Parts: sequence; C-alpha cells; structure tokens
Amino acid sequence: MNESVPERQGIALVFLFIVGDSFVFGLARWAGRDLWLSFLVAIVLASPLILVYGRLGSLMHGQPFSEALPRLLGKWPSRLVALTYSAYAWRLGCFVTGDITNFVQAVSLPDTPQVVMAFGYAILVLWAVKEGIEVLARFSSVMIIVVLLILLTALGLAMTEVNLQEFLPIMYDGFWPVLQGAFQILDFPLLETVLFIGLANALTTKKRSAYKVLIPGFLLAAFFLMLFASASVAILGEEAYMTSYFPVFMSTARIDIALFLTRLEAVVGVTFAIGTFLKISVCLLVASKTLAHTLGFSDYRFLVTPLVLSIIPGSQWFAKSIMEMEQSATKIVGFTDVVVQVALPLVMWIVAEIRMSKERKNKAGKPSGI
Amino acid sequence: MVILIIFGYVVVGGVELLLWKERPWQKVLVYLLLLSAAATFSVLLAIDVRLPVPEPLGTLRNWLQKLWQ
Repeated sequence: MNESVPERQGIALVFLFIVGDSFVFGLARWAGRDLWLSFLVAIVLASPLILVYGRLGSLMHGQPFSEALPRLLGKWPSRLVALTYSAYAWRLGCFVTGDITNFVQAVSLPDTPQVVMAFGYAILVLWAVKEGIEVLARFSSVMIIVVLLILLTALGLAMTEVNLQEFLPIMYDGFWPVLQGAFQILDFPLLETVLFIGLANALTTKKRSAYKVLIPGFLLAAFFLMLFASASVAILGEEAYMTSYFPVFMSTARIDIALFLTRLEAVVGVTFAIGTFLKISVCLLVASKTLAHTLGFSDYRFLVTPLVLSIIPGSQWFAKSIMEMEQSATKIVGFTDVVVQVALPLVMWIVAEIRMSKERKNKAGKPSGI
Repeated sequence: MVILIIFGYVVVGGVELLLWKERPWQKVLVYLLLLSAAATFSVLLAIDVRLPVPEPLGTLRNWLQKLWQ
C-alpha cells in the first residue's frame, strides 16, 4: 500500500518524535551551565548522520520498506537489518512507555500501578498504529500547534524567573563535560530519528527527498530542546538542574504571575503525554513494519496487537524504577544505540551506494535496442 | 495473577482472530506465536519483577572493551 505524508505533516511528526518524551529530562546535565554548548556540538555531530538517514530514505525512491531494502542490501542482509531495527524500535517503545508511567506516578498518581497507565497507553497506541503513518502525521500536524503554544507560553511566562548569570563562567570545567553532554543528547533523543528510515517510503516522493522532512524537523526540535534546557538552567540554577529528575517540570512550577497564574506544570505534563503517545506509536509502527518484512509479509497490521501488548511488561522490564529510567535517559553513550544509530546506518549507506552505482553502470553499459 | 494474564491474552487473541476477514494459516501461526511469546513474557515478569535483561550485543561490547584496553 502506498503511503504518503505531506512535507509539513512530516516535519511535525519528526519534531514531536524528538521532543516527545525528552524535553522534561535533564538533557546534557553533564555539561551543567554549558549545556547550550553541548547542544550546538550535538547538532553539528548529528547533522551528517541525519543526512545519511535522509540519503537512505531517498535511495528507497518512495518504495515500501519491504521492496526497497532487499533492492539496496540483498534479500537476507535486508531481513537481518529489519530484525535489528524491529528489536530496537520495540525496545525504544518500552523505554518511552516506562518514561511516561514513571513520570505520571512520580508527579501526580503515586498510588496507581504503572501497569494500569501502560495498559491505557497501549490501547491508544494499538488503535493509532493500525490506522497507519498518515493518521499519525495528521495528528502531529494538529498537536504541534497545541504543544508549541503551551510550551512557548510557559517559556514566556517563566522569563521573569530567568537569571542569565547562571551561564557564567563559560567552560570553567573545560571541554570534556561539554562533549559528554553532547554525546548524551546524540544518544537520546537526536539520533533516535534513525527509526524514520523504516518510514522513509511515506516521507519520500518522486519530487521530494527525505531530507526535506528530516532536516527541518531535526533542527527545529534540537533548537527547541536547547532553548528549554537552557531556560531551565537559568531558572533553577546549575545544581538543581543537575540533581532533579524533571527539571523543566520544576522550572515551570516556579511560574507565578501576580499570585493568579500558578501551577502551570500540569500543562507541561499534558504536552509530555501527547509527545509520548506519538513517539510510542512511531516506535511500534516501525517495529511492526520491519518485523513484517523480516518474516516475509507485506502487511504489518496483524503483528501490531502482540507487539503493543508486549510493551506493557516491557516498560517494567528495561527500567524498573524512576532512578533506572533517569539513568537510561541521561547516560552518555549506550553501546546498542551506537551500533543501531551510527554503525549500521553507515554500513547500510555504503553498501547501498555501491550497489546503486553498479546498477547504474550496468544500465549505462547495456546497448540500446535497435 | 498468572491465570488472569493468560485469560486476558486468550480473550484478546480469540476476539481479534474472529474479527479478521481472512485467516491465511501463515498469518494465524505467526500471530499466535507472537501472542504466546508476549503472554509468556508477561507471566515471567509477573512472577519475577527482577527478570534479567539479555544483552545480545554484550559479547561484542566486551570484546571491543578488551581491544581498547
């Protein structure tokens, strides 16, 4: 089935996927007050890889994953790659579900079992994934307005609490913490965009390459995250930012306009819930599609229910407490992530380019029929 | 709890299979296998919350660490 997502909707989808569950965490906390520098370094380091993801998407020429990948890599390597991405997408979906259940339990429903919240999310995700990428993209094009409106309003109102002196002195501890912070942001959430290789057929058309969706979405999300994280440091101070689980949530809680407009952290929770829903849906969509290709099926929808149901126990498996969840979100580099986000796409890209150039040469060398 | 989990999976699987318009045996087999795997996973986690997480790339990581040192 041909799926196509308009450019603006695609950008909204990528933006919400990256911002989704990451903005509430203490991103680049290793860098402390220099986290804005970490973001800039991370954007520079991530850009070539996002271009590689875009190139892989463009090489698929808008064909479905199950047709394009065997053409680029060969039958069995493509199935192995698809299985790896399926496992990675499912694992990421479990982590994100764990993030939202732990967050809700920590900030508002301490006595509610996490399984109950995970079950509610799973039902919603099950419905969304079965509807497909087009519905998810339309949903994100509407929700991006809500999310931006809420977060930018909160940021504007929090400006009265900002103290720019918190950013000084610059690089007092040297460049190493900045680099550590940059690697942490690369690992989570910037390079998680790798999952969009699995949805490239929807983002690419004959007239439009995947770059036009991936790059603006990535840059917008990265600068938005930088703005929010920097504002949180300026409001809370370096120490509080580094030691709290959800610094953005804490910084919006500080907003107090004439004792009238307070407790705005609840709206941040709402945006977190929306972003998380979208991110889990994209993860499960990619997991289902790539698993369907691995098993040799063209339709993915019949695989959605078992995969979605398994994220309920999976969310309790990978991160068993809020501390483990926070550690997994703010670790500097994960080995699995490096393999899936960096090594595998680079290998795929090189192999695909070699095969494509051979194909072009063969076509050019063939004598035209007389 | 274990019985409740298995019952839940059986109900979901049964209802969904009934709702399918066509039931090619390959799809039904894969669906049932995956659903059984999900049910087993849920039961194992219900029995032992501290179920260890396997690391398929652990051997590769250890080997690279040895090379690095």
